Amino acid sequence: MQAFLDIFDIYLLEAVINGILLGGVLALLALGLNLIFGVIDVTWICYAELVMIGMYAMYFMVQYYGVSYFVAAPLTILLVAVLGAALHYLVIAPLLTAPPINQLLATGGVLFVLQSFATVAFGIDFRNLGIRLPVLAFGDMNFSYARLLSFLAALVGMVAVYLFMTRTFTGTAIRAISQDRQIMALMGVDTRRIYLITSALGGALAGLAACLLVLQYDVHPFVGLSFGPITFLICVLGGLGNFIGGFIAAFLFAEIISLGGLFSDLEWGYVLAFAFFIVMMFIRPAGLLARRR
Amino acid sequence: MRLRMAARLIRGLLVAISATGLMASAQAQEKKIKIGVVFDLTGPLAGGGSELGYIGAKIILDHFAKTGVEGYKIEAVYADAQSKPDVAINESVRLLEQEKVDMVLGFFSSAQCVPVAARVEQLKKFMWMTTCISSAVFNEKGYKYVFRPQASGDQFGMMTMDFIAQNAKAKFDKEPKDLRVAIIHEDGAYGVDVSRGNEAGAKKAGFNVVMKEGYSATAPDLSALVTKLKRAKPDVIFHTGYNPDITLLLRQAREQGLKFGALMGHGAGYGVYEKLKEGMGADATYIFNTDPISIWLANQKTMDPKLPPVIKMVGEEFDKIRPGVAIRSAHVGIGASNTYVFMSDVLPRAIKKYGGVDPDALRKAALDTDIPEGGTMLGFGVKFYGEGTPMAGQNERSFPVVIQYIDDKSSVVWPKSQAQREAVLPLPKGTTYSNQ
Repeated sequence: MQAFLDIFDIYLLEAVINGILLGGVLALLALGLNLIFGVIDVTWICYAELVMIGMYAMYFMVQYYGVSYFVAAPLTILLVAVLGAALHYLVIAPLLTAPPINQLLATGGVLFVLQSFATVAFGIDFRNLGIRLPVLAFGDMNFSYARLLSFLAALVGMVAVYLFMTRTFTGTAIRAISQDRQIMALMGVDTRRIYLITSALGGALAGLAACLLVLQYDVHPFVGLSFGPITFLICVLGGLGNFIGGFIAAFLFAEIISLGGLFSDLEWGYVLAFAFFIVMMFIRPAGLLARRR
Repeated sequence: MRLRMAARLIRGLLVAISATGLMASAQAQEKKIKIGVVFDLTGPLAGGGSELGYIGAKIILDHFAKTGVEGYKIEAVYADAQSKPDVAINESVRLLEQEKVDMVLGFFSSAQCVPVAARVEQLKKFMWMTTCISSAVFNEKGYKYVFRPQASGDQFGMMTMDFIAQNAKAKFDKEPKDLRVAIIHEDGAYGVDVSRGNEAGAKKAGFNVVMKEGYSATAPDLSALVTKLKRAKPDVIFHTGYNPDITLLLRQAREQGLKFGALMGHGAGYGVYEKLKEGMGADATYIFNTDPISIWLANQKTMDPKLPPVIKMVGEEFDKIRPGVAIRSAHVGIGASNTYVFMSDVLPRAIKKYGGVDPDALRKAALDTDIPEGGTMLGFGVKFYGEGTPMAGQNERSFPVVIQYIDDKSSVVWPKSQAQREAVLPLPKGTTYSNQ
């Protein structure tokens, strides 16, 4: 009994809060992908690689050219937004009417192109932004400011995207276009423009994630491998296109990883999280917050 | 007319035959050994030290390509394992079967060495491993064609434990049984093997092992591991990892306020000081690393006199490729020295004594290797465990050393016979991770 009670110490609370902060990182990553993958039903398998390009942009602007972090961040968001629009214009647009597997394969190709491009252009070195944010301490518990920033950015980003999607004409058009691509043109909506706007927005959110991830992780050509699969799982678990669902899924996933890792081996945390995903796909295949029919 | 045509035809045929004959004789005269060299040039392991090992091996191969060995030309064919074991296997087989190389050399990752060695042995081809360390490559396998001059993983783990055991009382003012140690490692063949050595060393020393855990080197978050370490309160952490998992762990350790007395690294990511420094800044100071000694730190007075000029040459060539590096990584020297042993000792004997460069000649020549301590750039000698022994193919004379990074310099601190300075232990008061 005492051994059981010993578990409920300050470190358990620290693990719970760290899980919430990790959830913020994952929610931030899932935000842009949810918009593209979930709302307009286009598969960007190379999403995490766009984040990687954004992280490189931050690194070079801050470290090599001495640009202030706060100036570099909006420039990076703009750059990745342009990349997102270019990705749509060059790769997705010609395949919009093709089966989804074609988009998957094409963006899969872009994934390898971006990884190889980064390897050739920037080398295989791990690069570090070199900015060390202070630590927030509560007694024996310590928390990362970088993660707190990610958490806040994810929260603000989710609310902003939700409001944009539900309160603006463009947002409504984006939601409508996923339901019927053909009919929207007949209703006077420039579908090409809407797709470009959505892709740029998705890219901008990837850029935002890059600005905050670069404070926590080294950048290298394969950094996307650590996040890409988890980000996709979170979008699916939350319900495609459901931003609140994605947000909750990110925190659930992160808590399972954090607490599973605390009570057992770290690897078991990930095993439990993926097992939870599989079970939920049986119970709620349309996502955590999907309405029962 | 017909006669003239017939004469032309015959003349043409003669020219063709003689040309073919000349080509054949030229081929017969051009004796050559083709060496397939496999390292990770892309993917996470490339920056974790593999590319540096490749540079070291290439410097030596280029050096011998200029002179040849015993009348044989040297031709190296390079392949990128892309940090993936399956690619390492496929590339090795491709080199051996399609490029028709006579042998394969290199290999950074233990996760690649284990399956590649099995495949190469199956093909009855010759393999010379320069860098990977997992004992699982050889343990009870009975290979005939696979050789490794590099120290094995369990030796790494035992060496750091021995270092702490010998210093527990003097530096920590604790009996070994009261010293709390944590063993954490990436969960691949390399990390698991070193951690076994750590565990055996801890048992031998009588340490209190408060935590032992593996994790995936590509895990995006290690905060739960750090929280557990905080709960376990270790005096010394024994860590085996690649990069960037090392910098992620130490960054999260700083952010979460983990304190300890010493951090013992075991090669790979800990061998690349530049990256540690870039990721951790001043916190990289006082970290320990275990590796074969850097060739630039090895005691040249006790070394074979023909080796210091080679060390100088490797340093100069490396500086041309990577100018301005504060501490030349041990990985460069490991790649260079272990390739040099093959090119300067094994290969000439295979050609002279066993008549060529086929796998059996190379195998016999490798088994004859008998280099005493001080006979390699890494300081140790080379003699391979023979057939019928549990570790057949592993160098029985290799040993790693413990170094410590202080003020952008690395110095050997253990074993005592090689030590260049007194170790700073435990972490001084006021440093980020100090538990003082």
